[in-house]
Amino acid sequence: MPKDHLITSENDIGIELEDSGEGCDTRNGKPTSGRKRRRRRESKKERKKDEGRGSRNAQHAVDSGERTEKERQRKRRKDREEKAEHVQSLDKSKVNSRDFAAKNKKNLKNEKTRSKGIPKREVEEGEAKQPQRKGCAKAEENEQDTCERAGKKKGKKKKHRKKVETSSEHESSEDGDKEGEGEDEEVEEEEVEKEVRPETLTPEELEKLKEAVDDKKKLIQALRVKPWPMKKKHSTLRESQEFLEKYEGALGKGKGRKLYAYKVMMNKKWMKFKRDFENFTTACIPWEMKIKEIESHFGSSVASYFIFLRWMYGINMILFGLTFGLVMVPEALMGRPYGSMPRKTVPRAEETNAMDFAVLWDFGGYAQYSVLFYGYYNSQRAIGWLKFRMPLSYFLVGVGTVAYSYMVVIRKMARNANETGGGDENSFNFSWKTFTSWDYLIGNPETADNKFASITTSFKEAILEEQESRKDDNIHLTRFLRVLANFLVLCCLAGSGYLIYFVVRRSQKFALEGFENHTWWERNEVNMVMSLLGMFCPMLFDVISALENYHPRVALQWQLGRIFALFLGNLYTFIIALMDEINLKRKEEDVVQFNMTMWEASLHNNTASDNSTAPPLFTHPADVPRGPCWETMVGQEFVRLIISDTMTTYITLLIGDFLRAVLVRFLNYCWCWDLEAGFPSYSEFDVSGNVLGLIFNQGMIWMGAFYAPCLPALNVLRLHVSMYLQCWAVMCCNVPQERVFKASGSNNFYMAMLLVILFLSTLPAIYTIVTIPPSFDCGPFSGKARMFDVIQETLESDFPAWISKVFSYAANPGLVLPFMLLMVLAIYYLQSTSKSYKEANVELKKKLQMQNEENKKKNKRAALKAAMELEEARKAPSPRVAEQSYNPSHQHRRHDMADSRAGSFSSDQGRNGDDQAPFTDCRRSQPVKASASTRGRHANQGATAGYPAGHLRQSEPAKLQRVASTQRR
Amino acid sequence: MASPAIALAFLPLLLTLLIRYRFYFVLFYRAVLLRVWRDCRTGLSREERCFQYVLTNATPGDPESILDGFDSWCTKKEFISHIGPKKGKILDRLLSEHSPLTVLELGAHCGYSTVRIARALPLGARLFSVEMDQKNAAIAEKVIRLAGFDEALVELIVCPSDEVIPRLRADFDLEKLDFVFMDHWKKCYLPDLQMLEGSGLLGKGSMILADNVLFPGAPNFLRYIRRCGLYEWRVHRATLEYSKGIRDGMAELVYQGTK
Repeated sequence: MPKDHLITSENDIGIELEDSGEGCDTRNGKPTSGRKRRRRRESKKERKKDEGRGSRNAQHAVDSGERTEKERQRKRRKDREEKAEHVQSLDKSKVNSRDFAAKNKKNLKNEKTRSKGIPKREVEEGEAKQPQRKGCAKAEENEQDTCERAGKKKGKKKKHRKKVETSSEHESSEDGDKEGEGEDEEVEEEEVEKEVRPETLTPEELEKLKEAVDDKKKLIQALRVKPWPMKKKHSTLRESQEFLEKYEGALGKGKGRKLYAYKVMMNKKWMKFKRDFENFTTACIPWEMKIKEIESHFGSSVASYFIFLRWMYGINMILFGLTFGLVMVPEALMGRPYGSMPRKTVPRAEETNAMDFAVLWDFGGYAQYSVLFYGYYNSQRAIGWLKFRMPLSYFLVGVGTVAYSYMVVIRKMARNANETGGGDENSFNFSWKTFTSWDYLIGNPETADNKFASITTSFKEAILEEQESRKDDNIHLTRFLRVLANFLVLCCLAGSGYLIYFVVRRSQKFALEGFENHTWWERNEVNMVMSLLGMFCPMLFDVISALENYHPRVALQWQLGRIFALFLGNLYTFIIALMDEINLKRKEEDVVQFNMTMWEASLHNNTASDNSTAPPLFTHPADVPRGPCWETMVGQEFVRLIISDTMTTYITLLIGDFLRAVLVRFLNYCWCWDLEAGFPSYSEFDVSGNVLGLIFNQGMIWMGAFYAPCLPALNVLRLHVSMYLQCWAVMCCNVPQERVFKASGSNNFYMAMLLVILFLSTLPAIYTIVTIPPSFDCGPFSGKARMFDVIQETLESDFPAWISKVFSYAANPGLVLPFMLLMVLAIYYLQSTSKSYKEANVELKKKLQMQNEENKKKNKRAALKAAMELEEARKAPSPRVAEQSYNPSHQHRRHDMADSRAGSFSSDQGRNGDDQAPFTDCRRSQPVKASASTRGRHANQGATAGYPAGHLRQSEPAKLQRVASTQRR
Repeated sequence: MASPAIALAFLPLLLTLLIRYRFYFVLFYRAVLLRVWRDCRTGLSREERCFQYVLTNATPGDPESILDGFDSWCTKKEFISHIGPKKGKILDRLLSEHSPLTVLELGAHCGYSTVRIARALPLGARLFSVEMDQKNAAIAEKVIRLAGFDEALVELIVCPSDEVIPRLRADFDLEKLDFVFMDHWKKCYLPDLQMLEGSGLLGKGSMILADNVLFPGAPNFLRYIRRCGLYEWRVHRATLEYSKGIRDGMAELVYQGTK
């Protein structure tokens, strides 16, 4: 018995239990292949006794016959048991002596032997009990039916002898010596010996057991297609599994048996462990259950948002780990403490209200002069006893976060591309829709209704599309409307851009006048306006897009594109305004720098004139004049933006979703129209808007993280809260979308957007790092001409000279240019190879399709042929058919014929029918199925696991059934 | 004091709401504002004005032209909530499919649906039309007679529906209702339906058609029929009468009897 076969059966169990309707006359045909094998053997002997066996099998086919059979069987069992008891006492001594000898022989494997021996005994008991155990033991019953049927006619002994003769190929060598013994004795011995040891099994019993195990396996594999209620399936499955577990180990051959059994056992343990481990890992995935629940209620598209959110959370955790572990903590622990330098002290003017909540909320005061922002960091090369290179670390972490993000996003994109690769969208549109549009993860009746409706509408739309593609009457109107819609959207974009620009300019004016003179509204105007526009404009776009009359998927992409443009426009307007402000600050800085020198000079003059020998005058760091530090300003702006964005999101969630849901729910009792179904209704979850919000939020993090190391931490916090809040909001106040989309198509679209945003957000950051000199008195790079000089400095002072030499050579354009050329060539090469792979894939797909069609044709031909043969067979012995016109016997003759044919078929294909190539097996079993409609249906179920066309399996039995039913009439 | 820029940022929201719910605004204007204004100006009620228009524009004795008169008044002048031409077609189809002999109409209003049902009925059928409001009933009476239907075919009962239904069997010696059309107060759909069940007038195969179950909507009614299991039901989705964008539906129930 092949090991992997065992494993697959074990593996398949989980998915095996799925109800699929099929004809309900498959009841009797469970353990086909094992039985077939037996029949093959028997047929050699008993082919002549057609008549008698026909009646026997007729019994077997009819239900009542089965019952009587069982009774007989029970009787016979009882007989046998009595006999066994009778002889047991006689043979006990013999058995014991044997046992002892065996122990001596194999005392190394003693334990295993015993463990095997116990199940063996249980086999016997189990078999004895079988008539009572109904559902589980059907396979064995059937298998025993055949023996008993034989036994009834000819007596037990004869049957056994026959079996020994015919099945001699199965015998193991150690059983050979027993063949000479008398049959009676052998039977009795069987009974006794098996109580103790497996290796002393007689061939018959071994054979039986083997077949029973085989049958069980078949049963497990074919269980899915049985027309039974689920409960019965479950119980049958459980029982068969138990049976297999018990007896499978005993079925090795000869000496390898124990080892084999041991292997099987270990394999099972290993499989079980692996499965448990997998379960454990799934349980460890954060929020998995939550997301699954949402998925079941809202379909996979909403769940895809949450999966995306979780993924983002993971990335942000790593970004946070980098910045927190390598920048913030070292500075806080090892850097100079607060108040030791001007840049680490709140200026005297702000000291009075530096701890006010309003100031802290705006990230001024103590928050500004802390590790949260760029300005706090000292330019000291190495800090603490570890000689931690703070500026270098700061720079590298800044670069590293971006690089890591690029890597992750691109890797994810590549993986997604693999998943979705191939599959042309255009061909077989309707069959795709028919067979694949259901979302099997839905577990909520309402969502299922919606999905049903959406599939229906998609069909309607597809039909309409087909019709429209043939006649294009209103094309001008549609075009006009689309142009109009785009024009309106452009107007909207321009308006929002102008509004933001206007607001930013105004805020600059306020800044010049001093923020203290203005209200909170005016101070937070920029963020408010940006958030509000970001919230409301997409709604307007959505309304406008109704004009365009696109297919919903196309419309969704347009919508995403527009929102993207809006967000991008807003963000870049904001950045441009920030740039203006940076320039202003730098001018201010120049002035301050000049003043500083004056101030220092005056300080020196004073001390010099007063008392030249006195120690230099100590000024408190809070009193030292300082530059404006544009980097901190940029960081602050981004942090404020993030905070206001988060607040807006949450408040919208609470007002727009929760409050609305509450109102709709409770006002509905006393309102003049149906609030739930009609006008306000509950809100739907806006996947695209939320995903875009997330993406842009991430973009802002990437942009600002260099100047405010606290941003990833804030973002982690935000995402964490969002996860819970949105999960709750979705489950409590949203209704499933009317059109439940599948998510897989748009996944990479989002990732592409993320990549674009990543690029666009690193652009300004890199620009500022490269072109603008850092402030002279704050931040880790103060005193340097450019921020990246820190690398050069490190190379020069911390590494041996030759490394810096190597680097200077490597930075030589003569080397860089060829290297880039090489990279371009490599990219080109890789792309062309991937293209050729794709083509090969398409070719292979075509080939598969062709093969499928070929197979279908072949099967059809075979089925037709079988049907014709049947027809002939029915016509030929017509008088006898007329005489036995009732169903069972007739049926039975047919399947006899099938047996003989199957035997002749498989004789040249080896004994183990289930290990054959799936294709041949399937083909071979077709005629069997065709002729014996009630049996043999499952002969190929297990074997066709690798069969390419899944529907073939489904369709063939149905067709054949029809053929058979026409036969029966 | 909020700054004007922030106020401007709300402009898209306003536009969105305006565009998305334009049909509701139009409906509000036509059904409420215009009506109040006209009521004040002419001193006549809306139904009377409608009847005058129909009287001047339609041919007496021709139900078709009377229905057209109603439709054109409702599309061009003002708004009256009755079944309308589109949903009326569904009603016609159901009637012609089932050809019921006893029909109960709850809520005749000014007789539009009564005329619509009466003209589709087979010979020997009877239509009981229930209207609560005296004035409306008077107008409905006139409209019905104008369309040429006599007492034998259409019987107008001026009474609230919850009083009529228990008396139907006794006063009008009805055995079974084949078809019930509901278009009165949406709140009364459910109690009236339960009363009909209780009165035993519904037999197996009796059909009940309820208008406006989605807008203005009768959620309790829908919930009940979904749960009680006495009916085979479906909702015909359509738009509100004389309005394109507002979704509405008619619930078609077929009584299956108690199990």
